[in-house]
Amino acid sequence: MSGITLRNVTKVYEEGGNSFTALKNASITVSPGEFAAVIGPSGSGKSTFLSIAGALLRPTSGEVLVNNTDITKLSAKKLSRFRLEKIGFILQTSNLVPYLTVLDQLLVVKKMKGKISKEDREYAKQLLGEVGLGGKLHKYSDQLSGGERQRVAIARAFMNDPDIILADEPTASLDSKRAFEVVELIAKEVKARNKAAIMVTHDERMLKYCDRIYEMEDGVLSLAENQPLNKVNELS
Amino acid sequence: MFLALREIKHAKTRFFLISTILILISWLVFILSGLGNGLANLSAATFKRIDAHYAVFEDGARHSTLRSVISENMIDDLERFENVEAAAPLGTHTAVVLKEGTSGDDAKIDVSLLGINPGTFMEPKVTEGKQLDANNDEGVLVNAVLKDNGIELGDYLEVEGSDEKFKVIGFVENESFNHLPAIFTTMDMWRTIHFAAPGSDRGVEKPVNAIMLRGENIEPETIDQAIDGIETVTKKDAINGIPGFTAENGTIMMMLSFLFVISAFVIAVFFYVLTLQKTNQFGVMKAIGASNGFLGKSIIAQVSIISFISIAIGVALTYATAAVFPEGMPFSLDEKLIITYSIVLFAVSVLSSLISVRKVTKIDPLQAIGRVE
Repeated sequence: MSGITLRNVTKVYEEGGNSFTALKNASITVSPGEFAAVIGPSGSGKSTFLSIAGALLRPTSGEVLVNNTDITKLSAKKLSRFRLEKIGFILQTSNLVPYLTVLDQLLVVKKMKGKISKEDREYAKQLLGEVGLGGKLHKYSDQLSGGERQRVAIARAFMNDPDIILADEPTASLDSKRAFEVVELIAKEVKARNKAAIMVTHDERMLKYCDRIYEMEDGVLSLAENQPLNKVNELS
Repeated sequence: MFLALREIKHAKTRFFLISTILILISWLVFILSGLGNGLANLSAATFKRIDAHYAVFEDGARHSTLRSVISENMIDDLERFENVEAAAPLGTHTAVVLKEGTSGDDAKIDVSLLGINPGTFMEPKVTEGKQLDANNDEGVLVNAVLKDNGIELGDYLEVEGSDEKFKVIGFVENESFNHLPAIFTTMDMWRTIHFAAPGSDRGVEKPVNAIMLRGENIEPETIDQAIDGIETVTKKDAINGIPGFTAENGTIMMMLSFLFVISAFVIAVFFYVLTLQKTNQFGVMKAIGASNGFLGKSIIAQVSIISFISIAIGVALTYATAAVFPEGMPFSLDEKLIITYSIVLFAVSVLSSLISVRKVTKIDPLQAIGRVE
């Protein structure tokens, strides 16, 4: 099946004879069009989880399937290509390249693959229009507000038409109004483009936009008891 | 190129500063190479010009015309050796000349008096006047820079410390030896002046300082074994034997190599610090899928652009400076040298940027995750 599946993923860090299990037998499946959230306090293993899902970190055991490809078996070189083509990252603040204009932030993703075509340019403009930045194509990131920067990051994540979208605390440094807007935007794009999306956050206010909520505590991932109200009916 | 150009455009001041340093370094490199070349010419222009490949000196004279005395008589023998196309003798003598009728220190001109046989390959082509005449020992060819001292065709020159007189019958250009403008005279006249003191020719018949040989595939060992008391060396060794040549050249070369090392470090450190500053940025780009190749190429492109422009400006400034240097300054730009040093500087810059590239390959994209600023 398409989407992303983690099956019994465990990550153990070895440090000077001590071993520390950051992730214990985590399993999750997110299908295209689904927006899942993982919440938990800091240090609970959220970042490790996201890094493994995002092909940045190899698990100690278990499988990570993206479109039926087990990415734990890919070489380092293939992984960077894989991230480029299949995964869209929305990171925390300040993840834009300071010397690129808003439009170039998206085009550089295409450039990493090869040439920038005319269609790419149009697509980038369309995406930026959708996130409400059609009028700021030639601004630099220091001329944007925090919310606008995050929207550029959202548009950038969708630029290569990836299969999955991974968001790492996308609202970390935003006020609630901007934070709501940003998460709503992610949810909207995920639905419109039929992507499998996982957002890691500690901000429970954002959960109403998500389809399913997982809790992470001390490396254990489990489905949360309180699912979003509007979704409960759909689930049952 | 995508990232490289945009970053340079965005951070103009930063890249302007590093370019300025590179421009100054390349400017200095080119000026030094011009000076080195100019000095070398002054020192050995005549040797460099002549169409010879080897030189025969007295054994033990350490390839120097100052110490070597051999007999011109061996020329016939030398010409019989395999691959020797032609042989011509040379005598050198440092002299002071004055225009006839003038006196005082201002009128005295230091010259290198070079004794040659008219018609041999040692004789330069005149740019004005007539070639040397074997039957006219009085007639000499004079470096055209002596025109600045008021010397003209047909003028008579007195030789200090000698009763001999020269008549200027021709002018030659760019002929100098041992840092002094050259005057070409017949071998007989040169002997009269050089061996004026009785016994100074050490009893050698028809003495000369050296015999130059033309012929590319001459075997010096064979010649040295066949004829007693001589040493055959390449023209290059003969040039290095000119007093002061090696020392001068060595000094300039040492400065140049230091400059190359300095430019390597300046570039390496600048881009390394820049890379360290951008570690997070590179981490994020790697997380979203940038390969090491993509980021590495971007750094190399940046260094290439900056170096290329800086070196080009350095070359332009060098030619501009050369235009305002005073005439008598030993400065001569050689295009071949300029191109060579440009390439060396460029290569050194690009190579030194590899340290930054290596750093980039080591940045872990993982650091982009879970980081709050």
